[in-house]
Amino acid sequence: MSETDHVVSLDDVRVHFEPESGLFARDDDVVKAVDGISLDIGENDVVALVGESGCGKSTLGKTAIGTQRPTEGSVSYRGQDIWEARDGDSDAEIPYETIRRSLQIIHQDPGASLNPNKTVLHSLMVPLKLTEPDLNTFDRRDRVHEMLSRVGMEPPKDYANRYPHQLSGGERQRVALIRALLMNPDLIFADEAVSALDVSLRIDMMDLMLELQDQFNTSFLFVSHNLSNASYITGKADGRIGVMYLGELVELGPIDEVIQNPQHPYTKALMWAAPNLNPDAAEDTTGTPLRKIDVPDPRNPPAGCRFHTRCPNAREACKQTPPETDVDADGDHKVACYRAIDDHEYWDSPELSD
Amino acid sequence: MSETNETFTSGSSTEQQTARSRRSLYRERLDRYVLTPLRVIWNDWRTRLGTLIILFYILVGTVGVHYISEPQIGGPRLAGIFEAPGYPLGTNNLGEGLMSSLVHATPPMLKMITAGAVFATGIAVALGTVSGYKGGRVDTVLSTLIDIAMTVPGLPLIILLVVTFQPTNPFVIGIVLSINSWAGLARNIRSQVLELRDNSYIEASRIMGRSTGGIVYDDILPNIMPFVLISFVNTARAVIFGSVGLYYLGILQTPENNWGIMLNNAYSAGGALYSWDSLYWIVLPMATIVLLSFGLVLFSQGTERLFNPRIRARHAETIDETSPMEE
Amino acid sequence: MQAETKHKFDVDDPIFEVRNASVTFDMERGESKVMDSIDIDVDRGEILGVVGESGSGKSMFASALLDAVPKPGVLSGEIQYYPEDGEPVDLLDQSESEIKEIRWEEISMVFQGAMSSFNPTMTIGDHFEETLQAHGRDISEGMEYADELLSELYLEADQVLGSYPHELSGGMKQRALLALSLLLEPEVLVMDEPTAALDLLMQRSIIELIRDIGEERDLTIVFITHDLPLVANLADRIGVLYAFEFVEVGPAYDILTDSKHPYTRALLNSTPNLDTPREEMRPIEGKSPDPVNVPAGCSYHPRCPLSDENCVQNDPPFQSDDGDTDHQAKCHYIEQTRREIPLNLQEVEYSE
Repeated sequence: MSETDHVVSLDDVRVHFEPESGLFARDDDVVKAVDGISLDIGENDVVALVGESGCGKSTLGKTAIGTQRPTEGSVSYRGQDIWEARDGDSDAEIPYETIRRSLQIIHQDPGASLNPNKTVLHSLMVPLKLTEPDLNTFDRRDRVHEMLSRVGMEPPKDYANRYPHQLSGGERQRVALIRALLMNPDLIFADEAVSALDVSLRIDMMDLMLELQDQFNTSFLFVSHNLSNASYITGKADGRIGVMYLGELVELGPIDEVIQNPQHPYTKALMWAAPNLNPDAAEDTTGTPLRKIDVPDPRNPPAGCRFHTRCPNAREACKQTPPETDVDADGDHKVACYRAIDDHEYWDSPELSD
Repeated sequence: MSETNETFTSGSSTEQQTARSRRSLYRERLDRYVLTPLRVIWNDWRTRLGTLIILFYILVGTVGVHYISEPQIGGPRLAGIFEAPGYPLGTNNLGEGLMSSLVHATPPMLKMITAGAVFATGIAVALGTVSGYKGGRVDTVLSTLIDIAMTVPGLPLIILLVVTFQPTNPFVIGIVLSINSWAGLARNIRSQVLELRDNSYIEASRIMGRSTGGIVYDDILPNIMPFVLISFVNTARAVIFGSVGLYYLGILQTPENNWGIMLNNAYSAGGALYSWDSLYWIVLPMATIVLLSFGLVLFSQGTERLFNPRIRARHAETIDETSPMEE
Repeated sequence: MQAETKHKFDVDDPIFEVRNASVTFDMERGESKVMDSIDIDVDRGEILGVVGESGSGKSMFASALLDAVPKPGVLSGEIQYYPEDGEPVDLLDQSESEIKEIRWEEISMVFQGAMSSFNPTMTIGDHFEETLQAHGRDISEGMEYADELLSELYLEADQVLGSYPHELSGGMKQRALLALSLLLEPEVLVMDEPTAALDLLMQRSIIELIRDIGEERDLTIVFITHDLPLVANLADRIGVLYAFEFVEVGPAYDILTDSKHPYTRALLNSTPNLDTPREEMRPIEGKSPDPVNVPAGCSYHPRCPLSDENCVQNDPPFQSDDGDTDHQAKCHYIEQTRREIPLNLQEVEYSE
């Protein structure tokens, strides 16, 4: 599979945030939000990224759509390095303008994702004016009305004339979705896009996203801290899920594989934490499997495997060097843990106790 | 032509449909951009009164000057209000009608106010938004500029400029009078823009690849407009009082009539502060000044409502009234 | 109106008896009833989960239990509080000062978005001291107890007490708030979305902590959330709110496996969950009603697949279908719901 088959390719990307320079800033105040992640997103793909806050998933998402410049590593769109194109490298095969339009976003907070001073119609005309400047006003309006109908906002004319404060949260998110799709993007970064919606509306929204994905030929990068949501949307699309911890990708694979056969202890912990509707299945009412409740300071991540301070299976070997991402037999389920290797010295080293 | 259903097909509409839609489009635009703001203004007694007062002054300054002749010396001296026929507001010591004086002093005053307020607010918005939105080096340079301008003392500078250049053109005078007020405004606008910049919808606009100009116009300006309008009104008032003050003090000279000069005359030549007889002479220009200022203040108090989408939605007829529960 | 029976919900030892409680707001477009004649009992020592989506009135219910409904809302009805020892107290009858004593000392609350309710210019320790002072307690004793509470919540007492709110993570702030709410040893803890902004792991950990603390201190906990799975394994009983009233109340297990109200069943079917087969998930059609404009008759009828003329005209009474008074639902066709609205989770179970 050549590089140009991938819509977006992240290659060993690192995003480090320096603190404000000042009298008291020190080197170790650098936050390594993303620290060495490689990920490929294909056509019509759905990739979910889950992890706790501070793990860097939002930063990774923004890097993937070219809004956040990586400190190291590269991010490419169909083989074209995004930042080289942006910086005016005249050799660029794909102009930055095209790239910019192909990578879009849906924000988490429906209350802030639309301009409160403009009607829905106006906000949706903006992407149309950018992608189809030759259409006249009436045809543009028709397109907007068409999209509003398609997402279930009938009668579209009424909704088009409303201001955001006259819409419910779910409706606002749908408008945000339309806005992203009208750009005809190849990848949409859904940044906790359903987390602010009521539980009963989430399925609706996710189904809508998948339905329109087919029609618009878009991929989704779905970032969420909620495993159940991520599982639903990737499951229906046969997608992959990546688990992030403190800036690293600790597990990546097809959704059902990972859910049924989680390899990394952190993934297992997340599954324990995901609330379960089935009261019979919730026999594991013991306390947290982790040795510590709090996530370490991202400015000062633990040495070796970053998870070792909280991992229930951690051993001495885990404190030394961070495990490489290991690949299983099928090549698509990757995990960064010594336990995945049968003959690693991990199995001989003493367990950590504290 | 056969009746066609309004299906949402792009591209092909019948002529009838286009004409109908065009009319409804214009009607909508008229409602949205003209009638609704008017309704909002009319709805609140403060903006209503303020607008009427301002309109009155504009009327007097444009149309009124044609109907009321210029003040001429030679009429009955020191006539009080309604005392002399043809001079409803009385006359001064030279026999000039006070009403004529007041009326004919209005156009230059309006020009001054407009020039000053537009200048100061315009520059403040331009520099403040660019500085706040762009950030980085542009921001550093512009901020330094703004800071320097802020530290230069305003009043002495104005007096210096006026005395040196002796401007007579009211537009120029207006600009000189507000030469320094743009700096504080710019700083305020910059901080507001800094806050706005991180809003999700603005990030979305950037991600869509909108031009900076488009983003500033559509996303940023509407949010700072209430502040801009209030600043505009405040600058206008500052120009009024500044000019009146400087004319009164004689620092600003003009052959034309001016409320400040009238005050000065009333005080020095008429002794209006000491005798009841000539009190009207000083009170009338004062009242004129205060009324205009008051009108501007009233208007500005309600301007925030003009830019509040909830209020606009309520007053627009082409918008559906139903809104979901306030969350 | 329902007949006034004591122990109406088969609750052994009520600590709260709410009768006919309503909250109304006078709005421009009409009278807005954000809590509609609610009747419910809370058992002493239990964990009651109150589940409702946004716009169901759940936060108003929390505020009502503390008689802290924001003005200009008007709270009416009767809320009897039965302290461990002492006379029952009608919360709505109390004077300002009496109610202030009850709040935090007897009935404590953790608000939604509470993490921003810390004063950013004061350390966490200052907050604790201030609370102790405001209620006339001994500071050193109180702070010792605070140390205890904080360590139970896996926090370093010294570090946390000396920090400013912005120096702590979300999870830490939430736990500190929990400790603060327990500082005066209340009988009841009312929690409104206490884990809303937190991550999965922290959320689960805090739920466990709440359960442990509740058991240890014999607390009654009212846990309000929109996230049904969250309370699934925590609550003893669950009450489901829809359109500003309870539509179903019963033991948690029964509500999850054998709920009787169409809305509850639809809600279960639309909640993303790792175990449920994805093809079986169904969103709920329609929107929840505007408080000014609640449908006449049964408030759920516009969205209910079982509704008919009867539902449109008549508000259903609270009833149970098998004489089991501890599990009741507000539906005319309570017997048919099981058959008409299959639970997708059950299908998984039955097939095993």
